[in-house]
Amino acid sequence: MRGVRTVAVTAVVAMALAAPSSWAQPKKLVFWTHWEQNPEFNKFYETRGKDFGQKTGYEVQVVTVPYQGYEAKYLAALMGKSGAPDIFMGMTHHWCGQYDFCDKMPADLARTWDENLPKYMLNVGKWKGTRYGIPIEHGNFQQMYIDTELFKKAGLDPDKPPKTLDDWLAAMKKLTVLDAKGEPTQVGFALRHKGHPVGITDKFLPFAHAFGARMLSPNLEKATGFANSAEMVAALQFYSDLVNKHKVASTAFPTPEDAFGQKRAATIFRESWFFGWVKKNAPDVAFKVYALPCGKTCPGAGNLFPWTNMVAKSSPHKQAAWDFMKFISNAKDDLDQHQAQGILPVWTANLDSAYVKSRPDYQSTQEMLRQPVPPEYYHPKSNELATAFGEAVVAALYGKGQPKPLLDEAAAKMDRILRD
Amino acid sequence: MDRQRRAGLLFVLPAVVYFGGVFLVPLVESVIGSFYRTVPGGLSQFVGTRLYVKVLTDPTFWQAVGNTLSLLVMSVPVTVVVALAVALGLHRLRSLEARSAWAAMYFLPFSVSLVAAALVWQWIYDPVYGVLNHALAGLGVPPLKWLQSLDLVRPSLAAVNVWARLGFDTMIFLAALQAIPAEYYEAAAIDGASAWQALRRITLPLLNPQIVMVAILELIFNFKIFDTVYATTQGGPAGASQTVIMLLYDTAFKYFRLGDASVMAVFVFVSLLLVTLLQWRLFRRQVEY
Amino acid sequence: MKTARFGWLTAALVAAGALCVVFPLFWMAVTSLKTVPEIQRLPLQVFPDRWSNLDNYREVFQRQPFGRFLLNSALVASVAALSSAVVSSLAGYGFAKFRFPGHAVFFFGIVGILMVPFQSVVVPLYLWINRLGLLDTYPGILAPDLVSVFGVFLMRQAIEVVPSDYVDAARIDGASEFGIFWRVILPAVKPAIATLVIVKFMWTWNELFWPLVVVNSPTMKVVTLGLVSFTNMYFIEYNLVTAAAVVSVLPILAVFLACQKWIVRGVVMSGLKG
Repeated sequence: MRGVRTVAVTAVVAMALAAPSSWAQPKKLVFWTHWEQNPEFNKFYETRGKDFGQKTGYEVQVVTVPYQGYEAKYLAALMGKSGAPDIFMGMTHHWCGQYDFCDKMPADLARTWDENLPKYMLNVGKWKGTRYGIPIEHGNFQQMYIDTELFKKAGLDPDKPPKTLDDWLAAMKKLTVLDAKGEPTQVGFALRHKGHPVGITDKFLPFAHAFGARMLSPNLEKATGFANSAEMVAALQFYSDLVNKHKVASTAFPTPEDAFGQKRAATIFRESWFFGWVKKNAPDVAFKVYALPCGKTCPGAGNLFPWTNMVAKSSPHKQAAWDFMKFISNAKDDLDQHQAQGILPVWTANLDSAYVKSRPDYQSTQEMLRQPVPPEYYHPKSNELATAFGEAVVAALYGKGQPKPLLDEAAAKMDRILRD
Repeated sequence: MDRQRRAGLLFVLPAVVYFGGVFLVPLVESVIGSFYRTVPGGLSQFVGTRLYVKVLTDPTFWQAVGNTLSLLVMSVPVTVVVALAVALGLHRLRSLEARSAWAAMYFLPFSVSLVAAALVWQWIYDPVYGVLNHALAGLGVPPLKWLQSLDLVRPSLAAVNVWARLGFDTMIFLAALQAIPAEYYEAAAIDGASAWQALRRITLPLLNPQIVMVAILELIFNFKIFDTVYATTQGGPAGASQTVIMLLYDTAFKYFRLGDASVMAVFVFVSLLLVTLLQWRLFRRQVEY
Repeated sequence: MKTARFGWLTAALVAAGALCVVFPLFWMAVTSLKTVPEIQRLPLQVFPDRWSNLDNYREVFQRQPFGRFLLNSALVASVAALSSAVVSSLAGYGFAKFRFPGHAVFFFGIVGILMVPFQSVVVPLYLWINRLGLLDTYPGILAPDLVSVFGVFLMRQAIEVVPSDYVDAARIDGASEFGIFWRVILPAVKPAIATLVIVKFMWTWNELFWPLVVVNSPTMKVVTLGLVSFTNMYFIEYNLVTAAAVVSVLPILAVFLACQKWIVRGVVMSGLKG
């Protein structure tokens, strides 16, 4: 038993010694983010934080939180106040709309951002017209990536991509290769069919918008008549036909990124971070980026996940936090930070910089930004609404029902959620 | 008698105080939360039993319950029976080293974090890159969609569960088997009993407490299954693998409806309590020595 | 005896089953030695191109202080296992061999803790840990893990089987209650204690959700948090996840192999028969 006692004592001593001490350190602004896949981007806050610290005595400490479970951690911490971060990255309509955890942005800073954001991003970071947060991600709207080799093999010109959904479908058919049993070994379109329904909705919305449909009414108060409108039914029919009728997409394929990376899918609709992934994980895939094909209307630059940086209302260092945000709210910081990670900067001034011009998605981004801004769904209950909607989409993809009744059911459910 | 009563109380006191201190208060707060609703802005509004009515009449909730039950039925009996069979098989091995070695192999899955295991299994189940389809192709079976199939997703997840928990139960059974005196079996052999009769009359009754305990534990753990589903299917496809706890998590942290989530927690607790009490009453028998 | 005929069949089945069970772990280990293109190569390739390819392991340790994570996990899991063993044995003895007011209520109350979904108490528990100033500390991480319900269950089970005659005899001899516990009961249930220590160690080692919520500093993170950082919103880095998983399993294996001897030896020498 001696051994046990020794171990126990050692453990207690070790714990006491190892407990983080909080005296004699520069003041820190704690910044929480779940963007683990962008370490360079996150490090920038700390680097600039050091510069800021020399001026004000406040440095910045970045804490990366796993994406899996981040909502629980944020909620507990923001409710607990004293354990909460000073600055955190999330969606405004959740933390400032559903809850009241956010501090209002100082008017001058808000003006700066309103003047320098692309028009489709103006509402990102705002709740009911008040700005709380700074958007950090531009180009998280989907664009069309094509595998140029597969295009050429199918007799298509990779420099002349399809511009309409009909042309696109025709191209998809040419790009699909079926085996002896009629099952696809190569598909035209890399489809997102697994995972959380919210993600499924996110990937389906460009099609919905291209058909002129919208998930909710313009004032975001009603779903019936919109989520199950004739246009939406047509859009979902088109989408599910890709799998069930034309077989240009498949639910038996792995994740769309892997499918594209393995040259088993010729096109994928993905956001601007994707080409960095391809360059790293599938370096032998030759690709080009284009604007999404249009239907009745053009899908435009839309997104379901408007990630922004917000300041916690309960933070004792609110003023310093906003000062830091002001410190890095300029075109140069914006460019440096995003360039370090290989993602698109946010300031309109930077959209014509040499860095952006050198990106493969430069032209396509410009084209998509010229399209009208698609519907936004920044509602506190966006997750729940998108889940209900996404379940209908998945069910249609799996042939578990027809688009119209599925959408009717989803719309009713969404209205119940909205009314609650 | 008094000294013994006092002693008994003192022995259980540390555990009782700990659980009371750490879990009781949060539990009570969570139950109280089931009568409140979070309104936009973050305040709590008392709504009585409204959330109970809402959750208990929600078809999505019952679909999740159904999925959970279906997973339970596929996982629990298989785990218990296979664990018992493996333990019996291991017990037969005469050499202790062999027994330890094989037992350790069965126990290995338990040592891997559920998240890592789930991710590895997801890769094994992958319709295109997965080794399972690859192996089946060798036998002439066409590739199956496993986690991406409406019909196969739950059995696939159940298999992962059984795999992860088998070793744990096997170890419990094996330890118990090794404690049964050999004389019992020798006496039975002298009386002319067959191996099967020895199993039924000696082994199983003596193992009854462990079987009941394992069955209860498996029931509880499989009912609360979360990590495996969260790491792989996230409740998909089309809600086919959405379990009660997954729905609870989404309701609390993605939909921000803590009150509704608390209602679900109360439901889980009460259901498990009832089933456990039933199992305890029905199957637990006193063992004579 | 008929059993001899089936002896080899049994052994073969047990061995086959063990190999099937171990296969996913073998797959995990093998994947950790592959590069990303190798993992996605078709037709499927089982073995890595280079068995000596430790790049993934290198990257796992480079990206994060994974060594520190291992230390943290080891500390937390050890303390949890030890404290569980002590408190659960005490409680198991109390529940198994004594009758006192509140016996049933306490026992089912404790087992009831198992039936509460942790996700529903995590926020209230976090708020309490926060109030106590224990966020991001070892005690904070340990808070829900110090005693194991399963441990109480298991020890009660194991102690019930110890013949009460032994206890009565010791009492007649004038031993104190605690003395009986220490000298009569504990030695008799060594295998169960060893089982509890292993299981609790593993469980705490592999816990994800609570550490996720309560840990902020990179230096306080545990192994599971490190593991999960190779998955994100967009994709899973299988090569790194498997490498990290292998690294996190090795210490557990060591503990398991060390404790396993106790179980086997303990049973053989317990001399409880008859």
